[in-house]
Amino acid sequence: MFRFAPYVLKSLWRHRARTALTVSGTAVALFVFCIVASVQEGLDRLARSSEAHRTLVVFQENQFCPANSRLPEDYARTIAELPGVRDVVPMRVLTNNCRASLDVVVFYGLPPGQLGTVRDLKLRSGSLAEFEGRSDAALVGQTVARRRQLDVGSSFTLGEVTVAVVGVFASSVAAEDNFIYTHLDFLQRAPGSNSVGIVTQFEVVLADHADPEPTAAAIDAQFHGGPVATATRTKGVFQREAIGDLAELIRFAQWLGYACLGLVFSLVATTTVMAVQDRIKEHAVLQTLGLRPMRVFRLVLAESLLLAIAGGLLGIGHGILLLSGWGFAIGTEGVAIALEPSFRLVGLGTLVAASVGLLAGLAPGYQAARTEIVAALRQA
Amino acid sequence: MPLVEIRKLTKEFVKGDEKITPLREVDLDIQEGEFLSLMGPSGTGKSTLLNLLAGIDRPTSGQILVRGTDVTRLSRGRLADWRAANIGYIFQTHNLIPVLTAYENVELPLLLLPMAAAERRKRVDIALAAVDLTDRAGHYPRQLSGGQEQRVGIARAIVANPTIVVADEPTGDLDTRTAEQILQLIEQLNVELGMTLFMVTHDPKAASVAARRLHLDEGRLIEAAAKKPALVPDDARRRT
Repeated sequence: MFRFAPYVLKSLWRHRARTALTVSGTAVALFVFCIVASVQEGLDRLARSSEAHRTLVVFQENQFCPANSRLPEDYARTIAELPGVRDVVPMRVLTNNCRASLDVVVFYGLPPGQLGTVRDLKLRSGSLAEFEGRSDAALVGQTVARRRQLDVGSSFTLGEVTVAVVGVFASSVAAEDNFIYTHLDFLQRAPGSNSVGIVTQFEVVLADHADPEPTAAAIDAQFHGGPVATATRTKGVFQREAIGDLAELIRFAQWLGYACLGLVFSLVATTTVMAVQDRIKEHAVLQTLGLRPMRVFRLVLAESLLLAIAGGLLGIGHGILLLSGWGFAIGTEGVAIALEPSFRLVGLGTLVAASVGLLAGLAPGYQAARTEIVAALRQA
Repeated sequence: MPLVEIRKLTKEFVKGDEKITPLREVDLDIQEGEFLSLMGPSGTGKSTLLNLLAGIDRPTSGQILVRGTDVTRLSRGRLADWRAANIGYIFQTHNLIPVLTAYENVELPLLLLPMAAAERRKRVDIALAAVDLTDRAGHYPRQLSGGQEQRVGIARAIVANPTIVVADEPTGDLDTRTAEQILQLIEQLNVELGMTLFMVTHDPKAASVAARRLHLDEGRLIEAAAKKPALVPDDARRRT
């Protein structure tokens, strides 16, 4: 088959403009597919993380935006005493936008000593000691640092809150790379905040044997008659509910991804059909020389496959470059979905492009293989 | 034993309400190394017989035995393999692959045979030298004259050393002078390389080059003339 590679490549090169248009169209479609798939992947990663099942989030009942959840900080003591609870971390959450955004910035204020309890972060630059010793210090996730061009020594302002960046971290959970951690009391005392003694949520780390649902029910029961009722869910459920509308949109966007594949199919199939119809006589000559019909079929399939893979790799390549260079995160209600490049994405995109290319070549390949030699040779 | 035995070969097809029978129970033996030309008015079935012999068409009935193999009974795939190994086809309109160079066009039939790259190169070089186009090996068909294209077509037909070379009006698209050169070249294939040739033509001058001339009339073959000497004079060969 490879002996005929020059013929296949030169046949594609013969109609350079047509080939280029098909490849670029395929590239655009696969680029969109890649971005849509990365959003879906980010959503899946969020649901798969170990924290999603072994950490509870206590929020104010009937509230979803961090700006509206206001819980007394001293609830932490009561929660800590409940069976099955290993640790409780009070958090103040400040976000630039409660609605869906592609440039979400979320501040998490928490007692600095407890950061390691609830987060698995690795410092890429800066100092943890400086973070613990300085009240306006902030550790910035690597993605938001790249997006906002932040580094150790720089400062960052969100609304009336200005923090000093003392470290940049990478997290084992990609979404965390979009967050900024600072001190709880700093956020509580920030100008205009007026929330000393008030937190947005508690993150409850469960003991190894603890069952999440009864523990969550026990927490809510404790504060049912109190000044502020709570709603406690596992972190996974909390995130899923927080981004519920967004998840709906993402599911809808999946159809956009499938539509892109349909577009690739139409483009490649049209080009291949045109190529076959242009070369009916040529295929008859090849068969006269002794090419088996199945080999002619495979040659056409190879052309179609090459078109789809070339376009696919171009589109996926650009998608991966954009995702790795820009550090997109789509977020809402203080929860972020990281749009990250991955080998799985490259593999999936290439596989999908190849499959669509093969499918698109089937009918034209069959047409070429079934050429009636004598009739085709009579064509002018 | 003849190289090719054609027995009671009939070809019929329907055109509108009319049933046409270009070949009616044709019998023909071709000996190894023979050069046959087939003449006849347009539409009498000359090309049909050539295509049947080349294995690119199927008869309605009858047999074509080439070295004992009945090619009419082979499946499409096996027939393609048989063509690759046994048939060299010279087209009227050259039919070179436009995206391939002269060298690559000539190499095409060899790609279908189990052959090392070095052996392929050697054979292509020899075939191109035989048609005096070594210096045009890297040229594309669009960069060649009609005569040169036909020479490449001839090199492609002989490169795999086929059992039989068929030529369908090989000079039909050429001017008189180029046609003469091509005919001399074809004659050389028979005389110098001993190739078995079957040529269809409507040009009596072209047909006269062949040692054995046939006419096709109303579906039947008629031996047209006695054999002329197989060897051409030396001075004619030198002109090629």
